[in-house]
Amino acid sequence: MNPSDPPNPWTFFLLALKASLFSTGGMGNVPSLHGDLIGRGWATEREFAESLAVGQISPGPNGLWVVGLGYLLDGLRGALLALLAICLPPLLVLAVEHFYRRVENHPAVVGFVSGLSLAVVGVFVIVLWKLLQGNGLDPFSVSMVAVSILLAATRRVPVAAVVGFGALAGIVADLVRR
Amino acid sequence: MPDDNSPAPVPSSPAPPVLSSAQLFGVWLNIGLQSFGGGGATLTLIRRAAVERYRWISEEEFAREWALCLFAPGINLFAITILLGRRIAGVRGILLCLGGMLLPSAAITILLTAFYAQIRDSALVKAALRGVIPASVGLGLLTAYQMAATPVRQSRRDGPGPLALTLFLLLGSAVAVATERVPVLAILGGMGALSALFALVNRHRQAHRKGTPSA
Repeated sequence: MNPSDPPNPWTFFLLALKASLFSTGGMGNVPSLHGDLIGRGWATEREFAESLAVGQISPGPNGLWVVGLGYLLDGLRGALLALLAICLPPLLVLAVEHFYRRVENHPAVVGFVSGLSLAVVGVFVIVLWKLLQGNGLDPFSVSMVAVSILLAATRRVPVAAVVGFGALAGIVADLVRR
Repeated sequence: MPDDNSPAPVPSSPAPPVLSSAQLFGVWLNIGLQSFGGGGATLTLIRRAAVERYRWISEEEFAREWALCLFAPGINLFAITILLGRRIAGVRGILLCLGGMLLPSAAITILLTAFYAQIRDSALVKAALRGVIPASVGLGLLTAYQMAATPVRQSRRDGPGPLALTLFLLLGSAVAVATERVPVLAILGGMGALSALFALVNRHRQAHRKGTPSA
């Protein structure tokens, strides 16, 4: 994969802000950023996959994956801009709490949010599919997906260990192939 | 959780410790440092500190505030930290709590990425990545499943109509984004609006049915 072009810092910040503002949860912003950054040639599938993996390994919310992406695309400046962009939208929870009592249980609000969260899942699955495609759709990849799902579903294996297992399996598979 | 037991007066346990600014910052610094293993671990640490150790908030209130956070944009764990911070010490609390949690985890994320960027072109890393990418795709799929499972189960209980709507929202948005013709934000907003519309119609119909005695 070719290296991506360096992003315009201000636009990158605004895109990250927009993605977080119109989504909820740490991963909700993946689809929007994926579309915007790859469309502009500012990021590659590989960089997305890498920063998502960093987000899984590093402590704290997985949503910090954006900080890793910012670093890969634009160094420390990118990382700090990304951090700022993901810190601002959650402040709106103060407004949410303030207005909650008025619109509490309003069917339109409840309906909108549940529809939004379902759509995020649908879009997210396609993004994951594209990441996998970029990696090559061979038996090894597909079985690694299955194994990591099984390992994580037991809830006994830490997420970082699942990612570490993937790294080890990749190295072993490479040695075997030679 | 069932709230069957009557509001038992809090047993006469010692009063929760009052923290200085530095101590408050330290508590959240610890949460940020310890929370390896994703958001679930972080939430557990926050709940333990806020409800059990320092009693900033009751169990029930914590659950309610967390539900609110799921409605807020961006990272829910930041949102709950902001709400708790304000409850503890206003704006100062927000800055101390959020800053404390973020400082170690963001710094480690940056360092990890910086280290990774140095070695990302080595053959070994490329080989490892061939396994890491499908592993994190698997983790993502599991997250997606967990996010979808509850609403799907709920809608199945509500009947065939709601179930069909739920599946349409899930599959329709996937198909729409797969075509690469529709902007992602338009898909998300459109599906949200569609769901809101159905909820309104549904409420209207229910109110109507309630109004007529021979339903």
